[in-house]
Amino acid sequence: MLTCDTYHLPTTLRSALELWSKAPEGSRLVSGATDILPWAREGRAGDVHIPSFVDVTRVAEFEGHSVAHGRIRLGANVVYQDFLTDGVLKHLLPCMPYCAIWFADDQIREQATLAGNLANASPVADGTPAVAALNGVVELARLENGEIKTRNFTVSDFILGPGRTVLQSGEIISSVSLDALAGYGGSFQKVGQRRSLVISIACCAALVKADSTGRVFDDVRLALGGVGPRPIRLNAVESRLRGEKISRRTINSAAQLAADEVASRSRQEYRRSVVIGFVKAGIEEALENQSDVDVKFEELENA
Amino acid sequence: MPKLKIDLEVNNRKISKETDAHKRLLDFLRDDLNLTGTKEGCGAGECGTCSVFVDGKLVKSCLMPVAKASGAKIETIEGLADPGSLTPMQKAFHKTGASQCGYCIPGMVMAATSALRENPKADIEEIKERLGGNICRCTGYTKIFEAVELAKAVIAGDMPEEALNEEEVGKSYIGHNVRRLDAPSKVSGRLRYAADMKMHDMLQMQVLRSPHPHAKIVSIDTSEAEAMDGVVCVITSDDVPEQTDGFGVFVHDQPIMARGKVRHVGEAVAAVAAEDLVIARKALSKIKVVYEELPGVYDPEDAMKKGAAVVHDYAPDNIVKHIPVRKGDVDTGFANADLILEDEFSTQQVEHAYLEPEAGIAYVDADDVVVVISPSQNITHHRHMLSHILGLPINKVRFIMSPVGGGFGGKEDMIYQGMLAVVAMKTHRPVQLNFTREESIIASAKRHPSRTHYKMGLKWNGEITAIQFSMISDGGAYGMSSEGVMRKAAILSCGPYEVHNLSVDTTAVYTNNTPSGAFRTFGGMQAQFATESMMDMAAEALGMDPFEIRRINMMKIGSKTHTQHKLTAASLDRCLDAAETESRWEKGTPNVRGDKRSDLGGDDTRAPCTLGARFTNGKNTNEERVA
Repeated sequence: MLTCDTYHLPTTLRSALELWSKAPEGSRLVSGATDILPWAREGRAGDVHIPSFVDVTRVAEFEGHSVAHGRIRLGANVVYQDFLTDGVLKHLLPCMPYCAIWFADDQIREQATLAGNLANASPVADGTPAVAALNGVVELARLENGEIKTRNFTVSDFILGPGRTVLQSGEIISSVSLDALAGYGGSFQKVGQRRSLVISIACCAALVKADSTGRVFDDVRLALGGVGPRPIRLNAVESRLRGEKISRRTINSAAQLAADEVASRSRQEYRRSVVIGFVKAGIEEALENQSDVDVKFEELENA
Repeated sequence: MPKLKIDLEVNNRKISKETDAHKRLLDFLRDDLNLTGTKEGCGAGECGTCSVFVDGKLVKSCLMPVAKASGAKIETIEGLADPGSLTPMQKAFHKTGASQCGYCIPGMVMAATSALRENPKADIEEIKERLGGNICRCTGYTKIFEAVELAKAVIAGDMPEEALNEEEVGKSYIGHNVRRLDAPSKVSGRLRYAADMKMHDMLQMQVLRSPHPHAKIVSIDTSEAEAMDGVVCVITSDDVPEQTDGFGVFVHDQPIMARGKVRHVGEAVAAVAAEDLVIARKALSKIKVVYEELPGVYDPEDAMKKGAAVVHDYAPDNIVKHIPVRKGDVDTGFANADLILEDEFSTQQVEHAYLEPEAGIAYVDADDVVVVISPSQNITHHRHMLSHILGLPINKVRFIMSPVGGGFGGKEDMIYQGMLAVVAMKTHRPVQLNFTREESIIASAKRHPSRTHYKMGLKWNGEITAIQFSMISDGGAYGMSSEGVMRKAAILSCGPYEVHNLSVDTTAVYTNNTPSGAFRTFGGMQAQFATESMMDMAAEALGMDPFEIRRINMMKIGSKTHTQHKLTAASLDRCLDAAETESRWEKGTPNVRGDKRSDLGGDDTRAPCTLGARFTNGKNTNEERVA
């Protein structure tokens, strides 16, 4: 059971930062709150008393998103369901709808924010590999001598390890900026114990752009989750494929490189075999999902 | 408790109320507004019994601090239709029989309503996906999906509203769709389960449970808890008469609360009754129990070894019950066999996971009758046991069965009703105990984990000549329904096959694991898993079709069962014919065709589970993935 003394709902970034920097020891910043309530139960944290909650979901500056210079800036209050319902987000972040559909369920997605998912820094978070594939940068806001200052970190620098980030006391995630990748095909692979409402054992986000002929990889972005303390960008696989002709053979051989990245502490063999399949399926599905080009696999053309 | 002022709108009614700052929207709706159609099934966002609309979006109210809802418009199950009427969705649930225990149904109706509000044209795959956050344990979902599709058609005008009405009875009720009498109360959220009931001046109870699987209780110090403001009483086994303490479905080996020692993790050691839940939980942490850990037994085979730790003094061999069945002569049967197969089969512990966690209320009425209200599956037996334990005449103990939000056998054991009665008698105030989901899992009985050694003798023509069947089951720390489960497992052991020579032994053994008890099939599943697997393996070994080997051995009219009952009716032949036709079974041994077989796909088979039915580009559909 979770109990508290006060629950704040600040409406501006300044007031949120003021409340948060003055909050008594042990207080918690909350966004969707979908993780903290299940956490304070028997078998996990048990009964927990929190002096003060600072809930950021009414902070006006955290609302919505904006696009500039090939990047899209998501306010910290963007929830997972937005990736399924917001036309701009679906268009510019082609892997996110596929990631979101596997994340919890419709009801939890209405509450759970991408920023909160990153802040929890779970090694099996669905959002981290997708954000890594989108070259995501996390913006942190803090008060310094009464002024709002920010710092920026790539998602892999932001996460230090399981449950640990660079966030310092008084700091709040204010936005997440991502590459705007209109025209890419996206996909998301995930395996867990069951279909709905399940944490990943491993997951893989993929973004692919075939050239206008549908025969050559213009760009490939791949990132794995659940196979190490932080999301892993598959740079070796990506560079093996960029500029290459699209063929099953090329994809298969590149996918083998992914297995070497598995660094999780448990079920290594299982995860190694899963990620090879994920990379293959991830690329092929992302190619299928690239809507403006009819992709032509080399083998099928020559057959 | 620190307070918070909440202004919001619930079901078009403006609410302005002060409440505890820590409450969840679920608590506020249920406790402060008495809107108990919204249920708590897990408290962790997994089950969806608490789904409500907040500003038009469906959310799980157990995951929402009430402060977050301030200023919002809330719609609960009670607000979907005007009093006395039902929405088309609710009527459709009534029509198709989509409610069984009903505990998941308010949440399910909310999720179904949300699915069609979000997309009135959602196809069945999308409907399933949008209901993915809500769990049902009774219906198997088929009726629920039928209901949503029916409501969709009526709302869209594709079917007349009359399609929601009850069908007229034709010549016979057999085969006729009869609506359930209790469905309106369930689809509207009006039916009150034990946790939804409130009584004036009612206390809340919480239970301190053992962290050890086997330990001597050296001392229990409740003084600090009892001294707390708001704590009305703390009870232990000292508050229960020792001579008569003990309950169970067959053997009365379980005390109301652990007496002298604990035998499994999660066993009740003490209980607190307080003015509210928060105080009761705080008080638990003030109870000091000194344990002296004892060596335990965790595997039934270890428990039967000489020198193993003894769980109950009355059973020094740790045997709860051994059921032997003998028929014919197995030695001759095996001697006449052309082929003898031997194998081991094991099954695991399973939790019932009914959506309604255990809950109950007890009070003493003006005539000194101790009344217990709970979703007990066995109230008459509970009443008799409790009157004996408490030394009260039977007419001074009354059990009222509240609606059971799923039982499946898991609510047959009197694991908490005794504690409630003791507190009610001690305080003369009504007292309520609502289990958390975690508590339900840790404290309630499970399906028996089993290990079966199987030996089957067969002729080359497939005829079974003998079976030796030996099953060891982990009964856990208390007897509960173990004896009955062993009897049923023994009676059903060798399946619906006529076996002239058999030797069957089923044995339940005490261990320091969570007790095993009744669970759908009551021992049948464990035995049939072994027998039917063995039949398939025998078919493989003999190069036979699995239907054929079953037809050769099946019980017919005139057959004698394993327990020598002569059958005057038998229908396995028709079951096998129907199963063979409906499954489009290809004749042959099960293991020779591999991926060449064509009976694994087709119209009425389920495609592999995937998500994304709502994506409209059509490139990622189930069908294409399967192809």
